[in-house]
Amino acid sequence: MSKRVGILIFPGTNSEEETLRACRAVGLDSELVHWNADFDAVRAFDAYVLPGGFAYEDRVRAGAIAAHDRLMLAVREGAAAGKLVLGICNGAQVVLESGLAPGLDGATNAQAGFTRNAPLGKYRSTHVYVKLSIPPERCAITAALKPGAVIPAWASHGEGRLAAHSATLGRIAREGFLAFTYCDANGDVTPEAIPNGSALGAAAITNERGNVLAIMPHPERDAWTFMHHDASREQARGDASAMLATSGGIALFESLAKALAR
Amino acid sequence: MTVTRCVEVALTIPDNEAETALATLRRLGVELAELRRADLYRVELDPAQEDTVVATLRDLETIYNPNKHSLRVRADGKPQAGELWVEELQSESRSSAAAARAGQVRIAGRFLPGVTRIERFTAWRMLENGGEAAGPEVVARAAQTLLCNPAFQKATVR
Repeated sequence: MSKRVGILIFPGTNSEEETLRACRAVGLDSELVHWNADFDAVRAFDAYVLPGGFAYEDRVRAGAIAAHDRLMLAVREGAAAGKLVLGICNGAQVVLESGLAPGLDGATNAQAGFTRNAPLGKYRSTHVYVKLSIPPERCAITAALKPGAVIPAWASHGEGRLAAHSATLGRIAREGFLAFTYCDANGDVTPEAIPNGSALGAAAITNERGNVLAIMPHPERDAWTFMHHDASREQARGDASAMLATSGGIALFESLAKALAR
Repeated sequence: MTVTRCVEVALTIPDNEAETALATLRRLGVELAELRRADLYRVELDPAQEDTVVATLRDLETIYNPNKHSLRVRADGKPQAGELWVEELQSESRSSAAAARAGQVRIAGRFLPGVTRIERFTAWRMLENGGEAAGPEVVARAAQTLLCNPAFQKATVR
């Protein structure tokens, strides 16, 4: 029986359709789950994806109210049991606010956060690349990627800067929690590639067990060529099949699917 | 010589953010009758420039909209009973020392004459049944539970 993926929707979530499309494109049995869904039905999923948006209008802080939503009880329970949890953008903010990552020393409280971009504190929408900075197998969701894989995505956030106390950041960097860093198209990690002032150049972090991944930019928004931001899109113009060919962002979802198939 | 003033900007229309925070805190076991929220600008300034600075802040529509906000100046520089101040660490709202030395402290692009320092907080005021200010333990619990992420924010309680 195929594993079922619940794509969670809070009031204010806005990227669920793209996320659903990417999950289904890689063969995942996925469905949208609203915040008022039957709790036992939510618990029955084998994995959870928290999409982007502005859950609860980002009231108090980005992700803070959603982190305490009833749905997250099922996600916490599932993560503790080893289920896979992928948070994208606002979903990543929810994951950090809920303490699901990094979870140093088994902590269940928030040890880090994605907060206001620096230096200007402004919303940014820009195409980015992220590079896998851990051994693929360190995180189940990245296990099928190649070492150092470079994935295209769209950064689209006002609060994407990883922030934590320096000791926590040191451990995130040294102890294998820093899953992806921003890079250029060639995979070179440079300060210019970081769109938001994120500490460590972090685009994504994982948890101790490696079953949770919180990624700020949107790989599902660069899952097909028509969404991509280089010459390949221009070359595909006028050719529908080329436009609809998968792009690099789909790789993360393929890796998720492989992890769930194991 | 400088003095410290707090400019408090609060909504006069229903504050959905405070209502959501209150409902969430109650669900998490923090018993409160009321929760109020305000933006707070703590300013160190030359007292001779106080009226000008307040007028400048009052003139900034990104900070104060007379159709939906109240603005008042507080002489205290720290939280009152039942109040929690949350400040973002490494915040852009903190005036830089260099800007202060140059006498060029700005907010929302506007020069604030006579200001040597400005800090922005979110002030949460908590009331228990009967309108009493919540005790410090309740305020601290509200901060720990929801209102402050200590990874990048600092909570100040009276």
